[in-house]
Amino acid sequence: MTMTCDQLDTLLPEFFDGALSAEQETAAANHMATCSDCRTVVSELEGVSSLFRTQGRMKLPDDARERIKGALGLEGG
Amino acid sequence: MTADLRRTGEPVPSATMNEYSAIARSVSVAALFDQFADGVYTLGYRILGDRHLAEDIVQETFIKVMRSLDTYRGDGPIAAWLYRIGYREAITATRRRRETPLDPDEMLAAGDHPVTSVEDAVLAAELTQRLDAAIGRLAEPLRSAFVLRDIEQLSTSEVAQSLEVSVSAVKMRLARARQALRVELKEYLA
Repeated sequence: MTMTCDQLDTLLPEFFDGALSAEQETAAANHMATCSDCRTVVSELEGVSSLFRTQGRMKLPDDARERIKGALGLEGG
Repeated sequence: MTADLRRTGEPVPSATMNEYSAIARSVSVAALFDQFADGVYTLGYRILGDRHLAEDIVQETFIKVMRSLDTYRGDGPIAAWLYRIGYREAITATRRRRETPLDPDEMLAAGDHPVTSVEDAVLAAELTQRLDAAIGRLAEPLRSAFVLRDIEQLSTSEVAQSLEVSVSAVKMRLARARQALRVELKEYLA
């Protein structure tokens, strides 16, 4: 059982959420085993998520953190 | 309530009205602040492109959290409830302010990326600038969905609840955002 590039493309959100059915998962794996274009696309999309997961999160500056906690009455917590 | 509230994704069990207030009381605002302040700051900054405005979003969000925690009914993930407040604050601020382009210098200064050498600093600054510029070019609905799902690691369902849109709309926005960023950042994805 396999699927087309378009079918895989449509299912990419579920693919990345790990929400494919067992049948779809097998079909996606079979398709990617023979389609280098889709392997590249999936790998690069995973790279995008990974890049932002590790580099995209920001930290509230310490001075702002203390000021806001003070304003909220959360100091010492 | 302890442990990882943001990622458990486990809805607080359904409860009677009397039990709701007990649930609310058990959630410490201080603990919520410690857990979600950086995430709300990230969301606010990615929407508004201004770190001072993003700090205001954090403050306004937690003022509302303090005022409305009693109304949190525990029938959904608390992360989605809290980010929904933050998202509404940020969108209101955007409308109030009249949208302005994101400033790459401001964005660079706002990041928090520890570095170990001058060369690392230069490379990290360049990468940060590229990522910030790329995400800044996304339309706001795509950007917000991407930030909550791929940076803040909410589930797709939690993102939908936070943004008050359907799960299928979130999936569509994520697909478009990831594809645009893939094209934009291809050189970093080899």
